Amino acid sequence: MDRVHRLKSVLWTIIGIAAAVGMTRYIFGLGATTNLTDRVPWGLWIGFDVMGGVALAAGGFVVTAIYYIFRREELHPIVKPAVLTAFLGYLAVAFGLLFDLGLPWNIWHMIIFWNPHSPLFEVGWCVMLYLAVLLLEFSPVPLESFSAWAKIRSFLIKWKLVLVILGISLSTLHQSSLGSLFLLTPYKLHPFWYTPILPILFFISAVYLGLMMASWESLFTTHVYRREKETSLIAHLVGAARWVILLYVIVRFGDLFVRGQLGSLAEINYYTVMFGLEITIVAIVPFILTMIPKVRDSNPGQWFIASFGVFGVVFNRTVTGGLAHLVQDGASRYIPAWTEFIVSAGVVSFMAILFLFFVEHFKVWEQRAADPSVDPEKLPEFDKASNASIGTPLLAGWTKNSLIFISAAAVGLMFMSGKKVASQGIDSTPVSQARGCEVLMVDGNLDGYGVKFPHAEHITRIGSEPEKCTVCHHMNLPGDSQTECSNCHSEMYQSVDAFRHDWHASSDGANISCFKCHDKGKPKDVDSAVECSECHQDLIPAGATIKVDQYNAPGYVDALHIACIRCHETYIDTVANRKIDECSSCHKGAITPENKKFAEIVMTKVKAGKFQITPEIKKDRE
Amino acid sequence: MKHQPDGKTVAILTDVTKCIGCRDCVVACKQTYNLDKDVPRRWSNDDGLSSRNWTSIIERENNTFVRKQCRHCLEPACVAACPVGALQISDEGPVIYDSKKCMGCRYCMLVCPYGIPRYDWDLAVPFVRKCIMCFPRLQEGKQPACTEACPVEATIFGTRDELLAEAHRRIKAEPDKYINKVWGEDEIGGSRVLYISNVDLSFLTYGKNYDNKSVPSLARPAMNAVLPTFATMAGTMAGVGWIINRRMKNMQTDELEENQDNSSSAVSSDEGDSNNG
Ligand code: SF4
Ligand code: SF4
Repeated sequence: MDRVHRLKSVLWTIIGIAAAVGMTRYIFGLGATTNLTDRVPWGLWIGFDVMGGVALAAGGFVVTAIYYIFRREELHPIVKPAVLTAFLGYLAVAFGLLFDLGLPWNIWHMIIFWNPHSPLFEVGWCVMLYLAVLLLEFSPVPLESFSAWAKIRSFLIKWKLVLVILGISLSTLHQSSLGSLFLLTPYKLHPFWYTPILPILFFISAVYLGLMMASWESLFTTHVYRREKETSLIAHLVGAARWVILLYVIVRFGDLFVRGQLGSLAEINYYTVMFGLEITIVAIVPFILTMIPKVRDSNPGQWFIASFGVFGVVFNRTVTGGLAHLVQDGASRYIPAWTEFIVSAGVVSFMAILFLFFVEHFKVWEQRAADPSVDPEKLPEFDKASNASIGTPLLAGWTKNSLIFISAAAVGLMFMSGKKVASQGIDSTPVSQARGCEVLMVDGNLDGYGVKFPHAEHITRIGSEPEKCTVCHHMNLPGDSQTECSNCHSEMYQSVDAFRHDWHASSDGANISCFKCHDKGKPKDVDSAVECSECHQDLIPAGATIKVDQYNAPGYVDALHIACIRCHETYIDTVANRKIDECSSCHKGAITPENKKFAEIVMTKVKAGKFQITPEIKKDRE
Repeated sequence: MKHQPDGKTVAILTDVTKCIGCRDCVVACKQTYNLDKDVPRRWSNDDGLSSRNWTSIIERENNTFVRKQCRHCLEPACVAACPVGALQISDEGPVIYDSKKCMGCRYCMLVCPYGIPRYDWDLAVPFVRKCIMCFPRLQEGKQPACTEACPVEATIFGTRDELLAEAHRRIKAEPDKYINKVWGEDEIGGSRVLYISNVDLSFLTYGKNYDNKSVPSLARPAMNAVLPTFATMAGTMAGVGWIINRRMKNMQTDELEENQDNSSSAVSSDEGDSNNG
């Protein structure tokens, strides 16, 4: 009793925390909940939930093949649980994808948009079809409790063999096509793993895992529910599994030999260690243990063998799915975030809960539990002290477990940061406004390498009439008459949006309707928007020579170079001591190597005519 | 879909020796697609590409600048990989993306040999982003924004045949200046974005040991084997099941708990299925 209940409490706790992560993922995106990057687009959720989930489901097709096709009746007790696990394994895949896919609501697109060349398309279809087949294969078990469905049930049983054969064939395809997925990554997957026969290797290891998984399940449930142990049956299964893994190892090393990779195994580096670890866990340890009859026939020994086998194959899938991918020079390796681990654990826990639900409520086993307290057909429970009924164990359990779930989710949310993930690397360079009065110090990023701009002198030279100011001052913010350059050109090197869309649309801001600016019936984008001056008549001063024709303001550096150089090209004669092709004529500070390189770029632009004045302006000046 | 033959398809040639690193192409791209200001993030690669930067300038040794962008492969890995066909080769040639189809599996990002597609990791509704060779502009009869913006014609637009000829002509005219190779001519199946250079450009590829086989061709044998495998497996299982079933029926007369008639008829009907497959 307490074994089952304790297990369920733990599972619900994990599911609760995972739910908190799941919510965060849907609000703040994958960046906030995973350590995935543009380099490593697939991580633990694919490597473990999907690849592992499919692999763990291998028990279904292996056991049904042995039982229904090869008619080994001794497998009878584990057939139904194996089909159930397979079903739940695939459900876990679908579930895991809900978190991992960027647009999970489009998951059904695979049904209508076809790309038969894609290995992932094949995987997807196999998941869908096999999930359906497994559902039909397993449903006679729950249907047994509903007499109204007896007809359908007997129909399904009648067609069982067809379903089984369909299931086996789909599984074969599917287990192997998980390997085909990585045929398209010849440059990412390390050569120890990348081979044209990946699908075959995946299939063989899936058969092995199927046997191991069936054993593990039996061990686990007999322990939890104190059922009678199926020791001799498991000895059979793991005994068969060792020959499968022997075949796997032979094929794997044979392939390495053919491809000439065997020699590189001698080195010690990350990949050889991974490879060694994998082979040890998946093959060497279980193989040696199964060769010792004493271990093979003992319950603890079987625990060891089955756990190693299962973990080994899942490890292999995770390694192929990400850990063995090559990293480019200087890049750091992907290590899953704790949130990723907890979601994976949550998916597994949820499937475990479903498994327990099915075995408790339907006749998954022929043989009833040895411990009457975990038997599904139990009586209502009574509180020991007051003798009051606390409902059926089912209800009491639900009350307790939902409490656990909600508290765990609350605790999980506490650990979630609502912030979007902080940026790393070079931040944007905000521009500070020019300081001074008659002479302005123009030094946007405050590095000291600025320009002393004699503002007053320019006014004297050009004239102080308002229409002369507009030679340079081409735009004022609404209600302002002397807007600083840095107000719109607020980034040193990047162009920024000078238009505050959020403010215009917000009810706390301008609160104007979409159609005030955007044409009705067109996509609401830049093209369908009106010009700012439609509403803000004072935005562009009359006679401004620099045209504003976009919502983006160029970076500060570009903007000012354009402004100065354009003018000085025209008036080069009048300002004899200002040679625009010499940086030092404006920038009096020391020229560092970095500055020099940058200056060269700017000068090349000038020479290539990029910063030239437009003909109209030139005419205007003349 | 009617595709242009490889030679007639649109292409871009970037001459690394001419590029001055002014990033005007980058700015032009960002303005054309109204891409947000980019802040390097935890998930960014250090090559400057991101979901908001579809092209970037990488500084290499000897003051050279290399423009990185989607290569628009002749046989793109991403197109072969996408399970819903969200990535397609358009009639004109560019490899384009349909955000309405995408389901966000990011398989395209995994398989691209140049590591090009980028993701909106920070958004709740994320899309895959990459250069589309200004497909909308091409349809209007204009050239891509980047090639138009380049002040020194370091990156130019044309048909693939023209540009290949031009590339070889330049290399021949100044053999000392260039490495004798047109990147993109045939490695990894060839691409629509070509480079000539005075520095080694293999850093643009993921991994060093690439050859001329296109990525999709590597998975083709396995994909072609799918239906035959299915049919063989179904056939074998049905056959084996039938034989074993017969043997057991002959051996035992009683104590079979499953109804044999049903199962044997089921087997034979399935054999019919598998033959069709
Ligand atoms: S470079 Fe990558 S993203 Fe571009 S077409 Fe080729 S495979 Fe696709
Ligand atoms: S992420 Fe979108 S575009 Fe890329 S392979 Fe998946 S469905 Fe296709």
